[in-house]
Amino acid sequence: MSQIALFGNPNTGKTSLFNNLTGSYEYVGNWSGVTVEKKVGILRSRDAYVVDLPGVYSLHPLSRDEGVATDFLLTESFSTILNIVDASQLKRNLHLTIQLLEFGKPLVIALNMIDVAERRGMKIDVKKLADRFGVPVVPVVARIGKGMDELTEKLRSVEQTKPFTLTYDDVIETAIATISSYLPDDIERSKRWLALQCLEGNERVYEYLRAKIALEPILAIRKQTEESIRQLPHGRSLRERLHHFRETFIEAVLEDVVVWTEKRSLTWTEKIDAIVTNKYLGMPIFLFFMYVMFMLTFDWLGSPLADLLDQFFSGPLTDTLSRLLTAMGASGFLQELVLNGIVSGVGGVLVFVPQIFILFFFISLLEDSGYMARVAMVMDRLMEAIGLNGKSFIPMIIGFGCNVPGVMAARTIEQPRERLLTILLLPLMSCSARLPVYALFVGAFFKAHQAAVVFSLYVLGIVVALLLAKLFSSTILKNEHSMFVIELPPYRMPQALTLWRSTWDKGKGFVRKAGTFIFGGSVAIWLLSYAGPKGLHVSMDDSFLAAIGGVLAPILAPLGFGTWQAGAALLTGFLAKEVVVSTMNIIYHVKDTDTLQGLMAHYFTPLSAFSFMAFVLLYVPCLATVATIRKETGSTKWTLFAIGYALAIAYIISFLIYEGGKWLGLS
Amino acid sequence: MVLTDLQPGKRATITNISMMSDILKQRLIDMGVHEGEEVCVKCTMPFGGPVMVEVAGQCICLRRKEAACIGVE
Ligand SMILES: Nc1nc2c(ncn2[C@@H]2O[C@H](COP(=O)(O)OP(=O)(O)OP(=O)(O)O)[C@@H](O)[C@H]2O)c(=O)[nH]1
Ligand SMILES: [Mg+2]
Repeated sequence: MSQIALFGNPNTGKTSLFNNLTGSYEYVGNWSGVTVEKKVGILRSRDAYVVDLPGVYSLHPLSRDEGVATDFLLTESFSTILNIVDASQLKRNLHLTIQLLEFGKPLVIALNMIDVAERRGMKIDVKKLADRFGVPVVPVVARIGKGMDELTEKLRSVEQTKPFTLTYDDVIETAIATISSYLPDDIERSKRWLALQCLEGNERVYEYLRAKIALEPILAIRKQTEESIRQLPHGRSLRERLHHFRETFIEAVLEDVVVWTEKRSLTWTEKIDAIVTNKYLGMPIFLFFMYVMFMLTFDWLGSPLADLLDQFFSGPLTDTLSRLLTAMGASGFLQELVLNGIVSGVGGVLVFVPQIFILFFFISLLEDSGYMARVAMVMDRLMEAIGLNGKSFIPMIIGFGCNVPGVMAARTIEQPRERLLTILLLPLMSCSARLPVYALFVGAFFKAHQAAVVFSLYVLGIVVALLLAKLFSSTILKNEHSMFVIELPPYRMPQALTLWRSTWDKGKGFVRKAGTFIFGGSVAIWLLSYAGPKGLHVSMDDSFLAAIGGVLAPILAPLGFGTWQAGAALLTGFLAKEVVVSTMNIIYHVKDTDTLQGLMAHYFTPLSAFSFMAFVLLYVPCLATVATIRKETGSTKWTLFAIGYALAIAYIISFLIYEGGKWLGLS
Repeated sequence: MVLTDLQPGKRATITNISMMSDILKQRLIDMGVHEGEEVCVKCTMPFGGPVMVEVAGQCICLRRKEAACIGVE
């Protein structure tokens, strides 16, 4: 089957288009760098693959996600390029189009965001644009799926026409000719394109060529060309010169193709920006937004819903199941496994689904509105002081939903050291899986101040991350040269459908985990609690679980929770942090959250409960996060470091909280 | 004059970006910030934080010390 590859500037709607063409639900958001890896789908008509790629400004990558797109061009075989062009930013977008045309594959331009362009008073003559570039141009609105049929039609019929060539000046053309003559004849990519990319200084292309020929002559030509160009009156660099030629060509085309109907007035993006990125209000507004989010999740909306669900699980559901099992003549063992193991373990986590969905809804809102990049900007000064940059804050916010995509999102950070540091600290962001643990404990011990206590834990995570960033960046991860440039997209009214989809998409992961990890974990934990060295059906205190947890108990005693139950729960929490709640439900052998909370008062005080929550927040990243860190850093050493420092810092902080609290006379 | 000397809301033309580091220059050129283009400072963040500028109809945010490497007129 043929393969169609999507290329375009960041945030131009590639993934929106991909979703519409293939009927998938990939991750869409209103900032640059949402997609960080290659995604493959099948066209609705089932006759071609479509590949979604990270957005790039040019084919010369600066960050890891951009490298994915260039590598795709160099190493994979595909039949057609679908170039998404943001109609409201034509001039900048067409630079990439020219580079892609020089590549020499059949190409179709999808002119997206026509609605935005029209609102700005741009009228684009699509036919003329197609003529000037010699390729089909289809106007689309990817967001609502307008123009998909015509686009699919064009994609199917597009053929290799005569290659598009932009002519540069004599110096550059000579260099292109010389480099091309060095390239072997059996090379699979267009020689002119390779030569031009060499002149741009594209390291990926160097690497690609290095495997085939000696690079020195090419580098020498580039150096020589660079020097001759510097001699010219305006003294620009070679790269700027190439850019200048493309720019001149594009300007001439646009002169012909675009008609401005009206001068634009102050857009509402500018009005909102005047407030949310205000010098003094920026940071307080962000904190206020976070606060409202927590109040809704914990106090105003989430808790009542969770209570309802809890009543359902412990009442009707358990009764029905137990009647069903009896009717089927299930053995006592099976009955206990289902009711005390699975229903307690899995149900105990599922009751928190409403809270988690509310949290995900807010994160999706943040992602789709355009506020994300502004948060990065507001935070940059602080992040700079600790050796990171504002862009690191975006993965951290994503990490509040789940650490795994957060670690992935760090790919957009250009400086390798800043990226590594962001990845290492990301597990300290309190993900949604830790939320059930907090919800359980604050419900039991801090009934009056639920949202405030949870908020303090989130802040604790951030503060510890910032302090450690400062520590690491001034010791083991010294940064050579930090940089921060980010594009601020216009605000877009989030669409109900998109919001629902991305909330559901994140929430689905949580529900799926409940059916796999937590289910398996619950069965295993229940079996461990059912069996002991002396046989089956032992009392809980003589079980294997108690024995295992008991090993940890003395170590945890200085932190205020030196019981085997806490030890066992923490140990199983490495699988996924929600499993801490499952384990507690199973161990304390209760039917519903209310009873559990009552029972926990025998084992925890408010102070030790807080210390426990802090420990759960900070200690080791979950299994999935560890695997992702390993993959993204490509280093076992750094992965072990991420686990090790987290354990150490969790122990220290919990110790300080507990002992400090006692010293202050709290209990 | 450099970009950071520009009053918020005032427009100017970029005359020189050669003082910046290579990687940053490439990023900015790719985003459409280059010589001859019109810029406008939208706002600046407190405590020496980044500045937000508008170039060719889009907003870009960069650090103040880097903006100070952009010559304008
Ligand atoms: N008004 C309007 N908005 C659009 C259109 N197409 C996409 N969007 C919005 O533009 C934003 C970016 O969309 P994405 O599909 O994530 O863009 P992308 O090109 O995949 O972005 P990266 O993966 O970051 O490179 C989202 O907020 C979309 O809702 C369109 O035609 N009109
Ligand atoms: Mg995308």
